[in-house]
Amino acid sequence: MKTNHKSLILTLMLSVLIFPLSLPSSSLAGEIPVVLLPVENSPLVTYRIQFRVGSIDDPDGKKGLAMLTATLLTEGGTQKRSYDEIIEYLYPMAARIQSQVEKEVTTIIATTHRDNLNKVYSLLMEMLLEPGFREEDFERIRTNLINYLAKQLRGNDDENLAKEALNVFMYAGHPYGTPNQGLVSHLEGLTLKDVETHYKKYFTKGTVTVGIAGADTPKLAERALRDLGRLKDGQSKREPLPEPSPINGIEILAVEKECRSTAISIGYPINVTRTDPDFYALLIANSYLGEHRTFNGVLMIRMRQVRGLNYGDYSYIENFIQEGRSTFPLANIPRRQQFFSIWIRPVLHKNRHFSLRLAIWELEKFVKNGLSRDDFEATKKFLINYSKLWAQNQSRRLGYLLDSKFYGTDDFLKTLPEKLQDVTLEQVNAAIKRHLNCQNLRVAVVTKGAEEFLQDLISNKRSPIVYQAEGIPEDVLAEDKKIGVFELSINRDKSRVAAAAELFE
Amino acid sequence: MKYAGMNAIACLIALCASAGPALARDIFPYPIETRVLPNGLKVVMVPFDSPGIVAYYSVVRAGSRNEVEPGLSGFAHFFEHMMFRGTERYSTDDYNKLFKELGSDANAFTTDDYTCYEAILGNEGLEKVIEAESDRFMNLKYSVSDFQQESRAVLGEYYKNYSRPNSKLYEKLRDTAFTSHTYKHTTMGFLKDIEDMPNQYDYSLKFFDRFYQPGNVVVLIVGDFDPDRVMELIEKYYGKWEAKTYDLLVPVEPEQTSKRTAHIDWENPTLPYLAIAFHTPAFSTKNTDSAGLDILSELIFGRNSPLYQKLVIEDQSAESIRCSIPDKRDPGLFTIISRVKSDDLVEEVKNEIYEAIAEAREKPVDPKKLKAIKSRIRYSFAMRLDTAGSIARSLAHYLNLTGDPNSLNEIYKRYGEVSPGDLQRLAERYLVKHNCTEVTLIGVKN
Repeated sequence: MKTNHKSLILTLMLSVLIFPLSLPSSSLAGEIPVVLLPVENSPLVTYRIQFRVGSIDDPDGKKGLAMLTATLLTEGGTQKRSYDEIIEYLYPMAARIQSQVEKEVTTIIATTHRDNLNKVYSLLMEMLLEPGFREEDFERIRTNLINYLAKQLRGNDDENLAKEALNVFMYAGHPYGTPNQGLVSHLEGLTLKDVETHYKKYFTKGTVTVGIAGADTPKLAERALRDLGRLKDGQSKREPLPEPSPINGIEILAVEKECRSTAISIGYPINVTRTDPDFYALLIANSYLGEHRTFNGVLMIRMRQVRGLNYGDYSYIENFIQEGRSTFPLANIPRRQQFFSIWIRPVLHKNRHFSLRLAIWELEKFVKNGLSRDDFEATKKFLINYSKLWAQNQSRRLGYLLDSKFYGTDDFLKTLPEKLQDVTLEQVNAAIKRHLNCQNLRVAVVTKGAEEFLQDLISNKRSPIVYQAEGIPEDVLAEDKKIGVFELSINRDKSRVAAAAELFE
Repeated sequence: MKYAGMNAIACLIALCASAGPALARDIFPYPIETRVLPNGLKVVMVPFDSPGIVAYYSVVRAGSRNEVEPGLSGFAHFFEHMMFRGTERYSTDDYNKLFKELGSDANAFTTDDYTCYEAILGNEGLEKVIEAESDRFMNLKYSVSDFQQESRAVLGEYYKNYSRPNSKLYEKLRDTAFTSHTYKHTTMGFLKDIEDMPNQYDYSLKFFDRFYQPGNVVVLIVGDFDPDRVMELIEKYYGKWEAKTYDLLVPVEPEQTSKRTAHIDWENPTLPYLAIAFHTPAFSTKNTDSAGLDILSELIFGRNSPLYQKLVIEDQSAESIRCSIPDKRDPGLFTIISRVKSDDLVEEVKNEIYEAIAEAREKPVDPKKLKAIKSRIRYSFAMRLDTAGSIARSLAHYLNLTGDPNSLNEIYKRYGEVSPGDLQRLAERYLVKHNCTEVTLIGVKN
């Protein structure tokens, strides 16, 4: 076997200075913004080419168009090559070119070993500049998106069903209020012509930002700018988003589905993003309440550790998707409007009412009392250390830099420790009071017997926890008694039951 | 490799292996130091330039394979949960507080063959982690109540996973393909056993005593640290851990003599799933079989295979088709799973799969194709090694299989040696009807 072995040897030198460069404007560069992350000894090169187009740009009646278009770019043929030829071409290099579509942006992410840089780069440019838009690729991807909504989400994944149901419920009538994958009936009506029109309108010099990480980034940027200069001219200006609809009391969407346990998601829009000074205070507050996949959060401790109700319980102050098997968030899913949410992982049906009461009980304590001095100091210290782990590889660092550009902030990760350091306990507790509440919530549950559960909630039926353990501490049992009758102000008029099959249609 | 500064420590530890100059020919590009304490605890260290960050892994060579008693499946995984329940020195709360203070990303996972405890953190916290990890491995203590509560978190985890058809499919596949070996159950365990877990406190103590002992554990450290200082700390904190042995007898799976089938009715709408599996040998670097089967799976089912192109891209009769052959300490499975586009296409997809397998038996691979597969395997590996955590995960896998980190280099050498003849021989030996198990899953409300 012929192996180019020495070139495969990795000598990642992540200690080199890493910072974004502003590339000087040139006649070639035009107006395209660039974010560079030089990692001079890295064996890998990462491109994140971001377009300011997302699912909010889907026209009425054509929900899913942004996702279908972007997926067709990276999982369809180009003018020169069919998709099977592209697979064959990329295969020996194990290189990846993927699209990621969210509400506001679409990011095309390519990662390659530098041995194969030119080959992968030329394909990336073909995909972006000379898409093939073949009927057979269109059909394949459209069918996959329909199947994702109609089969996968409705029938095969209770936790994501509850999360997506919450999104639809929370943002009803708002541009954020459909899944990024679209709606089944809209997807069925889309045509290849729709895709071509969408591509021409949104994949332009006016919407693109170029992100590159690795060695020789200025040179790579020059080439990328020259090539992407072939994109059409276009506008990047966005209309302001409308305000999400107000929430009055606790509003329930109970999704009926054949299932063995109940998945619960709770949330409401908040008026804070990374651009807001309160964001850093809320970051500390939220970490205390429910840091993702750790045993630090109050929700995790009180629901799982103390009571064994389920596998995990977390909270968030911005859109959060876990990246693969890591415990860290996916980069490049930024939004101009954010939301607070609580994720209760599946609980036994018999404990669903108690679990929802307990989560809101803890939220109420949190909103009323805030953090103690000790909790504040411990959580702040944790976040300052933990955030150093959020971008251990260059692709994630580059993603964070692009997000900083989206929000118009300084390098988020670089400045985070000092910003957290400056936050005071008073600021944290004031930010909680300003932005979070425990009375006006939307709740999506996926359960069996949804109507009965909704009636139990409306009538505030007593719901004692069912343990399968002995020796529960007295103080916990005493608290359980109170939680079992904890009154929730359910807004009966705004609450409803839906069959899983009705959603996303 | 330098061992300056070891002095007193040097006489307490045995140097088992150092990477040496052979590394220049190896795929793993970083130096590996392996040392063993007198009590049998193996310590593997890989300095790597991840400024200020270190990955601290404890690899316990016990997984669901070790669950040999009937009615007690799922305990290796359950035990992974219990390891977060504290000691006399560090209560659960103290342990959580410590990791919170360090800002560590601490977690764990369990597989068929091993259980792995991971912590990624700033290197200034390394001594604290070594102290706390050694303490829980030596002195774990939990109440019956904690044990029972945690067993319900495990049940919650089961339910979380099993709303997904592929989890159910895989559970059924294993239960059908194996008759005697403990690979018959998944790492989660049988549902009836999970439901009974609250009653098995005494067995949990036995499980800990059997498998959480120094000769069965490897401590793996990757990142920015001083190896000599770390060895001093490990000797200080793990040195008193008492050596024990336990002879595990895992039932041997008899050779399969005829095809087996099973079916699942799924109670929600779903695309139909098809799983086909063949028994394969245990992981080994002594011959080309393990490496060859990996290449064979790519040849028949990889994204550039004619079968994938036909089913997924051209005919579009399947949404996906994937083949996996997880490396196992004992003979495992070569598993193909396809999500088919509609119920009436399942038979057609199945027939296409068998035809592609037959072609691999009968026709030697084009050398160009073989070269492309080998290239992909090497680049895939090279592109994975970009953080201390990802390097630790790669090494933990091989430490589990053989106890020797160099197995990683050896298996990649074997990939290089696989010939077209090897692939035909392996297909002829393993991918045959009498060695096959088929499971289908169809939505009853489609």
